[in-house]
Amino acid sequence: MTDRNNAAAGELQQGLGRVWANLPGLGALAAVNHTTLGLRFMVTGAVFFLIGGLLAMLMRTQLALPEQEIIGAQLYNQFFTMHGTVMMFLFAIPILEGLAIYLIPKMIGARDLVFPRLTAFAYYCYLFGGLIILLSLVMGIAPDSGWFMYTPLSSAEFAPGPGSDFWLLGITFVEISAMATGVELTVSILRTRTAGMSLRSMPIFCWYILVMALMIVFGFPPLILASILLEIERAAGLPFFAVAGGGDPILWQHLFWLFGHPDVYIIFLPAAGVVSTLIPVFAGRPLVGYRWVVLSVITTGFISFGLWVHHMFTVGIPHLAQAFFSVASMLVAVPTAIQVFAWIATLWSGRVAWSLPLLWIMGFLVVFVCGGLTGVMLALVPFNWQVHDTHFVVAHMHYVMVGGMLFPVLAALYYWLPHLSGRMASQRLGYWGFWLFFIGFNMTFLLMHLTGLEGMPRRVYTYEAGLGWDGLNLLSSVGGFVMGGGVAMIIIDVALHYRFGRQAPANPWNADTLEWATSLPPAPYNFVSLPTLSSRHPLWDQPDLPESMAAGQHGLATMAHGRRETLGTDALHGKPREIIHLPTNSWLPLLGALALAVVCISLLLRAYPAALFGVALAAALFLRWSWENGVHLKAAPLADDEPDDLPLHSRSCDGPGLWGMVVSLLANGALYLSLLFAWFYLWTASPGWRVPDERAVALLPFLAAGALLSIVMALYHRAAIRAVQGDAEGLGTRLWQISALGVVHWGLLAWVLYDAALAPTELAHDAVLLVMLLYLLIHSALAVVLTVLQALRVGYGYVGARLPYELLVLRPFWIYTLGVFWLSFAAFLLLPMAWGGQ
Amino acid sequence: MTGGRITAPLAVFILGSSAGCGGPYSTLDPAGPAASAAAFLWWGMFGLFTLVLVFVVGLWLYAMRRDPDPAGGQDVGRVHRRLLVGGGLVLPMASILVLLAFGIPAGHMMLPLPPAEGEALRIDVRAHQWYWETHYPGTGVRLVDEVHMPAGVPVNVHLTSEDVIHSFWVPRLAGKLDAIPGHENVLRLRAYSPGIYRGQCAEFCGVGHAHMQFTVHVYTPEDFEAWLEAAQHDD
Amino acid sequence: MHLVLGLIIWAVWFVVLYGGLSVGCALAPPDVALGSLNWLNAVLLILTLGCTALLLYLGACCWQGRASADGDLQRQFIVHVGAAVHLLSAAAVLLVGLPVFALPPCI
Repeated sequence: MTDRNNAAAGELQQGLGRVWANLPGLGALAAVNHTTLGLRFMVTGAVFFLIGGLLAMLMRTQLALPEQEIIGAQLYNQFFTMHGTVMMFLFAIPILEGLAIYLIPKMIGARDLVFPRLTAFAYYCYLFGGLIILLSLVMGIAPDSGWFMYTPLSSAEFAPGPGSDFWLLGITFVEISAMATGVELTVSILRTRTAGMSLRSMPIFCWYILVMALMIVFGFPPLILASILLEIERAAGLPFFAVAGGGDPILWQHLFWLFGHPDVYIIFLPAAGVVSTLIPVFAGRPLVGYRWVVLSVITTGFISFGLWVHHMFTVGIPHLAQAFFSVASMLVAVPTAIQVFAWIATLWSGRVAWSLPLLWIMGFLVVFVCGGLTGVMLALVPFNWQVHDTHFVVAHMHYVMVGGMLFPVLAALYYWLPHLSGRMASQRLGYWGFWLFFIGFNMTFLLMHLTGLEGMPRRVYTYEAGLGWDGLNLLSSVGGFVMGGGVAMIIIDVALHYRFGRQAPANPWNADTLEWATSLPPAPYNFVSLPTLSSRHPLWDQPDLPESMAAGQHGLATMAHGRRETLGTDALHGKPREIIHLPTNSWLPLLGALALAVVCISLLLRAYPAALFGVALAAALFLRWSWENGVHLKAAPLADDEPDDLPLHSRSCDGPGLWGMVVSLLANGALYLSLLFAWFYLWTASPGWRVPDERAVALLPFLAAGALLSIVMALYHRAAIRAVQGDAEGLGTRLWQISALGVVHWGLLAWVLYDAALAPTELAHDAVLLVMLLYLLIHSALAVVLTVLQALRVGYGYVGARLPYELLVLRPFWIYTLGVFWLSFAAFLLLPMAWGGQ
Repeated sequence: MTGGRITAPLAVFILGSSAGCGGPYSTLDPAGPAASAAAFLWWGMFGLFTLVLVFVVGLWLYAMRRDPDPAGGQDVGRVHRRLLVGGGLVLPMASILVLLAFGIPAGHMMLPLPPAEGEALRIDVRAHQWYWETHYPGTGVRLVDEVHMPAGVPVNVHLTSEDVIHSFWVPRLAGKLDAIPGHENVLRLRAYSPGIYRGQCAEFCGVGHAHMQFTVHVYTPEDFEAWLEAAQHDD
Repeated sequence: MHLVLGLIIWAVWFVVLYGGLSVGCALAPPDVALGSLNWLNAVLLILTLGCTALLLYLGACCWQGRASADGDLQRQFIVHVGAAVHLLSAAAVLLVGLPVFALPPCI
């Protein structure tokens, strides 16, 4: 009996393995599997970490003694800019995204993330963007305006070289990757948890990642907008940030920190999630105050968007406004304190098993609490005026980032290492690594607080002897090298463990979460069968779960159809709703990212025709991508006897695609709101703001275009509703008509732009209007193209009465386009008229 | 030879640390009311937060070493609640209120509000890559990388920039304020006593950033009048 | 939705507070000599108190909703956390609004 079962399970595993395997050889580049890609993200991030660390060592060498000229000011400026850029954008965020990509499906009992091709695309965008930025360093033309690129130091006049362009284009490329990951993680966590895993019983790590992903969705668009605007200013001379044309350099600071501060928490939250995951395991008790922790994570996510001005206390903003931001900055200490005390309470109630990951968490506690406290100090405006832009801030930032991120990540490394290699790391080397790193870190940065208080500003490449800074700097440099030794020790440890580490037992730490129910190392499909859960700690409450899952005794244990499948569940309760059919290996993500790289490089070389070609190529590839989705009949032919209880998602009305669309539109909305913010900011606060005497945009054609758009939208809505009700009669014709009307609307809008007497290179006012009109045009065009594709698909039978899913996925995009149109009308045309400008 | 190279900086370090917190740019050796207030805030927060750090880390270590009560039950729940409410809510909120109680008046005092009697002396400073240009309105006096001012009276420094963003900072007198193209910011300076104080650019402004220093010469009010008179005639 | 409603209100209030202050200062800056007793601070104060009251009311509503969520652990979880979110947002509004008492607005 058991033999037969085992044989069946073995066959099942083999079959799943075939369906889920990456292509052999070079075909690995077409992989879309989250385990593979999560690892690639993390390894790439680690390499960038070493590069960033190397730059730091060079800088500490230059600063070790006063009045040295080892690398000189120019190179030093490139190095600190690149150190910050690499560490923030190419190491910290991507490696945490990689961790989430690797772990989340395993923790929530899914076989893969919900948009696997998007994972691959995100990885390639990150890789290519990172390489482009790195290229500038190798060529000696790296950006040198500091990692927050303040204008006008970074604008064409004061940074004529290509350094800033490398930064702006490369970082935007990398941010596309982050946005893709943010959307994907949000939808995966909400919609693909295994049966019975409700919001209140999902692992606490998933809460952290959910909030982080949503913060990426809302936090990155301001910087993307700022980068686009600055790049346009540099390339075409539109004065968004130049005072002479009515722009304002402070706008850049607002947009940058509107991203920059949430970014700190985007980095901290997943790391704190690691701590909240590990501590209960080592204490052998559930996390105390799960609800409190959820509450504080959500609160942190919100409040962190209200702090950005605390990076700008010295730019001369009214003191009362500074006080608001000051208090908000201090308030964010409350949710953090709640978490720290929840961890203490958990340790209090448990019997603690001492181990290397826990040691790193201990280091995290000391360093991070210290950094948090100096953060509260910095939030106090009068004190901030003294230490802002000094080495005190450098020290604080490293305490927060290294303490709040690197220590937990290294704890995570040692904790999950057996998961990805199947072997345990050595104890002795690991302890050496920790102590060298911990001592070196504190030697470098604890002293740096004092250096800053004694008045040493940041970003100086050298300093006079005898100012009281000499000894402190020397010790900091020595400490930096000790820390480097610690990192080397850890690398050796990890490398050796692959060869000499002893075999890891199943669930070596006696953890409670599902990721330890996979085989070690995990199979690409994670689980043979997906269980129905009733508890927050599945592996503690049902110790035999891994075996029964591997034996195929739970849901979705079939591979006869040869599809990659995972379960789609209700966002709140985790009730099964549909089976999500996931795409298999694909070259499209790689090709799409390559096309974008062509765009990026052509823009760098100012070869605009080539850039245009790249855009067209990318658009074609993306449309091809959207064509070959789960509804494609080759992938999943529509049968007559489809099951009603758990349909494929392409047969449903509320599949993950719709959620992905809505989350992407939230991000898009954040981008638009940033533009709106820029408009209102410049209007009220820019010192040289000028409004042209005559209104440049013709109102009547604009209104006509709007009326037409409203009609188009209503028609589309009706067509979609009728298709859902099963009436697909004439659907294709209707879609063609809608597309035609859409084209007319687009033409009208284009004519408005053509006809408008804008002087975008002279007036910031007109420059912003131009960007707004282009934004509307792009959206209208995209909506029309996607509708044409729908009409074609109706012809092929991919969309119809039984398959209305795609129409519903596209609908929010039409609604969004319409909403943005009228909002723009109100904010950019109507409001200024009411204000009495024109 | 190498030995000498290594021991020399070490000796400097020991000397430096025995001199305490001095140094021409040290915020911990204040020579004006604004810098004094900031230094006072620093020492206060340093003391308070050291206690907090020791308390939290100590509690954490104790929690790790402690053996859980076998009885458990209600008692544990109460301890948990106490930890979460006391440590998570009360401790940070109380610290914030204490900080604000000291911080808001300190910040208020540093603002360039009109003084109770008389008027503040106005000095215009223009930042350039990479030097500071000082004007005394109504006198025609123009200086480079120097500011001259009287002791004991409020001085308003009106800051702007010709090119990129700079930041005007005299650590021993007051906090820093940015000089931004197109904007004018007003920094209140006040020195206790005559002397020479050093200032520097604090916002990264390009290749010459590390060498963008200036000096502030503070006189008695009488000496300042005499200096201003003489400077006007020099032109 | 209850999970984030309170914080969304906090965020909107915060934007209005900051934006209102900037616009107020741009259009009709009150005299510095008045200190913190002027029309702008008064408006901001009323806004703050109103927002706190609203959040407390919503929190109370949420708490009352406990009864209806009887048995459904999911709903109960959301309701509990929601009520706490409202309460915390109210505290945040009040604390952030505190400086309105002490500082003149436009300098």
